[in-house]
Amino acid sequence: MLGFDGVTKRFGPLTALDQCTFTARPGRLTGFLGPNGAGKTTAMRTVFGLVELDAGTVRWQGRPVSAAERARFGYMPEERGLYPRMRVRDQLVYLGQLSGHRAKNVAGSVDSWLERLGLAERAADRLDTLSHGNQQRVQLIAALVNDPDLLVLDEPFSGLDPIAVAAMGELLSDLAAGGATVLFSSHQLDLVEDLCQDVVIIERGHIVLAGELDDLRAAVPDRFVDIRYQGKAPDWCRLAPATVVEAGDGQARLRMERGADVAGLLAALQDQADIVSFNYQPPTLSELFREAVAA
Amino acid sequence: MNGVRQGWLVAKREMRERSRSRAFRASVVLMIVAVAAVLTLPALLMPGGGAKDIGLTGAAPPALAATVGQQAHAAGTTARIHHYASLTAGERAVRQGRVDVLVVGAQRLEWRGRADQQLEAVVTMAIQLVTVQQRAAAADIRPDAVSDLLAPVPITNVELGPVAGRSPADETAVVVMTGVLLFCISVFGAMVLNGVLEEKGSRVVEVLLARIPARTLLAGKIVGIGLLGLAQIGVTAVVALVTVTAVHSIDVPAVRAAVLAWALVWFVLGYVLYATVYGALGSLGSRVEDAQSVAGPASVVLVVAYFASFAMIAQPASALARAISFFPLTAPMAMPGRIAMGAAAWWEPIAAAVLTLAATAGLVLLAGRVYTSAILHSGPALSLREAWRATARPGPSATEADTHVAKALLHRARPLTGGRTTMTTDLTKHRLLITVLTGIGIALGIAVAVLTADVIIGVIAGAGFIAIATQMVNLWTRHSGPPVAHH
Repeated sequence: MLGFDGVTKRFGPLTALDQCTFTARPGRLTGFLGPNGAGKTTAMRTVFGLVELDAGTVRWQGRPVSAAERARFGYMPEERGLYPRMRVRDQLVYLGQLSGHRAKNVAGSVDSWLERLGLAERAADRLDTLSHGNQQRVQLIAALVNDPDLLVLDEPFSGLDPIAVAAMGELLSDLAAGGATVLFSSHQLDLVEDLCQDVVIIERGHIVLAGELDDLRAAVPDRFVDIRYQGKAPDWCRLAPATVVEAGDGQARLRMERGADVAGLLAALQDQADIVSFNYQPPTLSELFREAVAA
Repeated sequence: MNGVRQGWLVAKREMRERSRSRAFRASVVLMIVAVAAVLTLPALLMPGGGAKDIGLTGAAPPALAATVGQQAHAAGTTARIHHYASLTAGERAVRQGRVDVLVVGAQRLEWRGRADQQLEAVVTMAIQLVTVQQRAAAADIRPDAVSDLLAPVPITNVELGPVAGRSPADETAVVVMTGVLLFCISVFGAMVLNGVLEEKGSRVVEVLLARIPARTLLAGKIVGIGLLGLAQIGVTAVVALVTVTAVHSIDVPAVRAAVLAWALVWFVLGYVLYATVYGALGSLGSRVEDAQSVAGPASVVLVVAYFASFAMIAQPASALARAISFFPLTAPMAMPGRIAMGAAAWWEPIAAAVLTLAATAGLVLLAGRVYTSAILHSGPALSLREAWRATARPGPSATEADTHVAKALLHRARPLTGGRTTMTTDLTKHRLLITVLTGIGIALGIAVAVLTADVIIGVIAGAGFIAIATQMVNLWTRHSGPPVAHH
């Protein structure tokens, strides 16, 4: 388990991280969300000792992270970068060795990853002869060569085509299923909602929301009702306690308090219109995010 | 995790990847060819040791041809004699370069261009001898007696040089050695500088630093490039030695093995010292294009150290020479020369080496701090002050850049007048500081010139001080170039 405990970092007058506390658990995908400049990259860098902290601790399995433990971590920085003129396989083996593994063991891992991501034939080529997409794959392998217990990925989905996004999502889910702790940042909230069990939302250096996604959604007092109807629209003003968020073209989204009379609302709707579907649910991650960040 | 093992992995990668690169291989071949050419060309351009062609025409004593041959032999060359029936034929041979000199009637020497002094001496001596013998025979004096009479008195040349037991050949060796040291330290130092900037430019540095500490990365790089440099120097030296032995173009001064060994030691010391500085300065920039602007000060110091050492070759025992051979930044250039000139007591190189090592250790700590705090920074080059205070924000990343710029614009827009004022006072302070330092430099130059009674050394000291001080101030505040809006 990865734990941030009161982590604080200042750059001159700017406080990039202010008393950040949250955890990322093994076997689960944790989405790390926040607007641009909120401190996501700085927070991820602290895990690898790339940023000297002004206060607080980053812990792994309850102990402050040490160099020996970092050997079992994998990291994909947002600024992708490898040696452009180095051969793909040499480069990956080198990075694995730097993490403290024997060349022989790393080579096996590198070869199987190259095979799995369809890069086996390019192993002896220079990195800069590969396409952008393939370079991204090599970058991902660089984070995976040492078979990490903790995987930290900064914007792993940025710049990927839809097929690659799906493949990446599947891969991350597999790794988590294998027992790894996976923390990644993304702006694609729908994707995070589909993939992640846990989320952490950061805004201007403060952690504004952290925990299990389902719990967070359930804890919000707002509930939403999505309806579809045929024919005449219901009278939106006569649906108290629900209010209309958006409406039009045979569908609408209503908001109401948690615990309000859902059955009553459905009955009222059915009185006024021909209801095709009625879906009562907590807010989506996007709504949760906007709410948290605007506060 | 073992830092030494990681450092060695970095060093091995540097050696393997660099020795694989076409640019490096080309540079090795180029250096070998250049050295071989420099050593061979003098022999090709000045065929001083080869046979000489001498033309004879007109009335000449019959013994002249044989005597020229003997004299040439005594001078260490061979003479080929050609007889020409007419002056015209002889002169044509001279003009076409078939003979080096035409002897006309044992009275006139005709050359194609300027007279070859050695050949002139040989021919003149032969003519004198033959003529004297002729006259002696006419005066009825035994030819043997004449020869005895004219037997040359052996005269030896002794080159004293500035220090007892050392010759001007040693001085030449020192000049060459100091130049080679400067060349090697700056070439391999620049490789470290570029290596650091390449890693920053390609952003691979973040992937590396997630695995190993910045100091290990810098140390491994310095060791790897250093070993590669030693190998290159070794190969080039072997080629040079073989060439010199094969061509006999120049005299290899009888350089003592101990002197060579010390030169190698000082290369290593100087390289490590300057490579550390270059590495730290390299981390201030963001791309390879920044190399010149961030590393300028170190290069200036290195060149000043070179000129100072160069100026000291003539008086290796002076107090100033002793001082610069102990000062860590100049010692790698100055001490090898003093050792070669025999002007250093046995303990002096050892003490200077220890001093340089201590200074390097200190620099490694300072450089490590600068490197660690600056290495993840991207964007415009940092000033040394920013890196030292570690307030540099590790690079606004690509996607964050927009908001960053927007924020910066907002910041700039608000306190426009306030910002101006502080900027102007900053610049005024900076100019004042430069002026004061220039004044101190001029005073220092004059003082040194008076003390050493040598204007050149004074100029070097003064100019060197001003150059280094100005560069340092610029690096510290990064107000280089014309005063444009900054921050």
